Amino acid sequence: MAELTAREARPAVGNEEPWRPAGRRRPGTLRARASWTGRGRLVAGLVGLVVLVLGAVLIPWLGGLDQGAVDYTAVRQPPSLAHPFGTDAVGRDLFLRSFAGLGVSLTVAASCAVISTVIGTLYGALSGLLGGWPDRILMRAVDGVNAVPHLLLGIVIVALYHGSVLAVIASIGLTHWTTVARVVRSEVLSLRSRPFVDAAISGGASRRRVLGRHLLPAVVPPAVLSSVLILPHAVWHETALSFLGLGLPPHLASLGNILAEGRQAVLLGSWWIVVFPSALLAATTLAVAGIAAWWRDRTRPRRRSELAL
Amino acid sequence: MSAALEVTGLDVRFRLRGSRGRPPRLVRAASDVALTLHHGRLLALVGESGCGKSVLTEALTGLLPGNAETRGRATLHPDGLDLLTAPEAVLRDEVRGRRIGLVGQSAGTFLTPTRTVGAQLREAVRMLDGPESAEVLAERAGLPAAALDLYPHELSGGTAQRAGLAAALAGDPEVVLADEPTAGLDRPLVDRTTDLLAELARAGKAVLLITHDLRAVRRIAASGPVDLAVMYASRIVESGPADEVFARPWHPYTAGLLGALPDEGFVPVPGHPPELSDLPSGCPFRPRCGRPSCTDDPTLVHHGERAVACHPAVPA
Repeated sequence: MAELTAREARPAVGNEEPWRPAGRRRPGTLRARASWTGRGRLVAGLVGLVVLVLGAVLIPWLGGLDQGAVDYTAVRQPPSLAHPFGTDAVGRDLFLRSFAGLGVSLTVAASCAVISTVIGTLYGALSGLLGGWPDRILMRAVDGVNAVPHLLLGIVIVALYHGSVLAVIASIGLTHWTTVARVVRSEVLSLRSRPFVDAAISGGASRRRVLGRHLLPAVVPPAVLSSVLILPHAVWHETALSFLGLGLPPHLASLGNILAEGRQAVLLGSWWIVVFPSALLAATTLAVAGIAAWWRDRTRPRRRSELAL
Repeated sequence: MSAALEVTGLDVRFRLRGSRGRPPRLVRAASDVALTLHHGRLLALVGESGCGKSVLTEALTGLLPGNAETRGRATLHPDGLDLLTAPEAVLRDEVRGRRIGLVGQSAGTFLTPTRTVGAQLREAVRMLDGPESAEVLAERAGLPAAALDLYPHELSGGTAQRAGLAAALAGDPEVVLADEPTAGLDRPLVDRTTDLLAELARAGKAVLLITHDLRAVRRIAASGPVDLAVMYASRIVESGPADEVFARPWHPYTAGLLGALPDEGFVPVPGHPPELSDLPSGCPFRPRCGRPSCTDDPTLVHHGERAVACHPAVPA
C-alpha cells in the first residue's frame, strides 16, 4: 500500500519515531498488506473459470476430431505431442476427451446447482418464515430425504428415467437441495429476529417488502455459497453413478466417466488417465471457490468480533 | 501519589484498504497523547464520539486490530514495561486482567451467554489467582448476590455492567480502564457506576474513565479529587484537576462542552468534529473555534498540574 503522507494529518505534532505495526497482537485479523484476498482471488478465479469453460467449449469443436474415436494402435500412450494428456485403454485421446468431459460435467453440475439452489432456497425460506409447526414438519421431511443415502435415492431416480443426461441431473438435483434448505432456513430464522427487520416493520413495510427487500438479499450470499459447494459434489455424485453403470451412457465423456474407466488403468501404471481429468476437476473447483470467496467477502463484511477469532 | 501508567507521545493510526473505488486511507486515531494514571486517582477522559477515546484502551491492552500501527510509549509502573512493544505472551500472561482490568462498553455482551455470572466470576478469580472470592467481588461492585446464579441475558443493563466491573477486578489489577461503562444507562445507574469507579480510585487503584458524560464527571469531582482530560480529533486538548478545569476551562473546546450542559446554558458547540482520516492542518479545532483564528498548530503545554493545547498557551 502506498504511503499516504499527504493525506495524513498533523505532521507538526510530536513524534518522529517510525510506526510499529500493532497487528501482530491479534492473530488472524486483517493484515495491513494485501494478502491473497479480495480482488486477486476474484480475478484468478474468473480467469481460471473462463479458460476452463472456453476449453470445454472450443477444444472439442476446434479439434474437429471425435473424442470418442477409438485407435487400437495407440492404447494407453503416455502424454506426448500428439496426445498431450495421453490416451486411454482403447486409444481415445484424453486431451479431447477430458475437455469434452469437462463440458458435460460442468453442464450437469451447474444444472444440479441451479435446481438444488432454487428448491432449497424456496423450501428453506418458506420453512423459516412459517415457523412453528409447519417449520417442524417441513424440516422433518428434509431429515427424511437425508436419511436415505443420496446415492440410493439417485439410483432410484435414474432407474425410473433410465440412462439419460436429464435423469442424472434430476437424480443429483433432487437429492442435494436439502443442504441449501437447511442453510437458508437457519439464516431466515436468525434474520427474522434482527432489529432491522423490526425496524422495517415498524417503519410501515409490508410483509412482501420485508421478504423481498430485507430478508431474501441477506439470504442470497449463504445460498450462493452452498450452491457453489454443490458443484464438485455433483461431479463426484455423477462419477459414482457412472461407475455403477447408472450414470451417463459410457460413450458420452464426462469427467466422472473418464475417471471411473481410468481407475483400472492406474493399476497398470497409466497414471495420466486419472491425473489429467482430476486436475481439470480440481482447477474448476478452485476457480469457483475463488469467486465464491470474493463474493462472501463482498457481501459479508466480517464484524470486529469475527475478525478477532 | 505515584504514577501507575504513563502514556507519552502515543500515536495510533489505522490503514484502511481502498475498496469499491475509494482510495486506501490512513485514519489517525490518536496523536501525541500524553496521560498519566496515578494510584488512588481517577482520570476522566471525555470527548465526542469518534475522537479516538476507545482506541486508547485498545492500544494499552494490545487489543488493536491488525491494521493498526502505533508509536510512542506507554509505561506501566513500577517495572517500566512498555505496553506498546511488549510481546503478546507478556500482555496475555501478566498484564491483561492481572495488572490492567478492562471494563467494556455494554458489559452485558462481554459475558458468555451460556454460563451463569457466578460461574464466570469464579473462573476469572481462579484463572487469575485473584485474592478475593467471587462473592466479595460482587459485593464490591454492587452486584446483588442473587445475580450470581443468573445467566447474562437475565440481567438488566445496570446489573450486567456491575458484573463486568466485578470481573475486571477479579485479578486485582492496579489499573482499571473503563471504556464508556455508563453508555446506555439511566441517570441513577450512571451515578452508581461512576461512584463505584471513584471508590476504586479511593481504594488505591489507578482508574481511567472514558465517557461522554461531563455531568457524571462533575458529580464525582465534587466528592473527591478527579483528573480530567479532554480529547478532540485524536488529541488531548486540555487536562488537569477536574474542579479547576470546570471552574476555569482554558481550551475553547472544553468551555464549549461545559456550555453545552443543560444547566450551563444548553448551547452546543457549533459544527462537527473533523474526520480522523482527513484532519485539517493546523489546529483541528480552528473551524469551530470562536476565537480570532490562529494559523499554527498548538502543542500541549504544561503549566503546573494543568496542560492545554491552545493559543495563547497560558490564558490570563
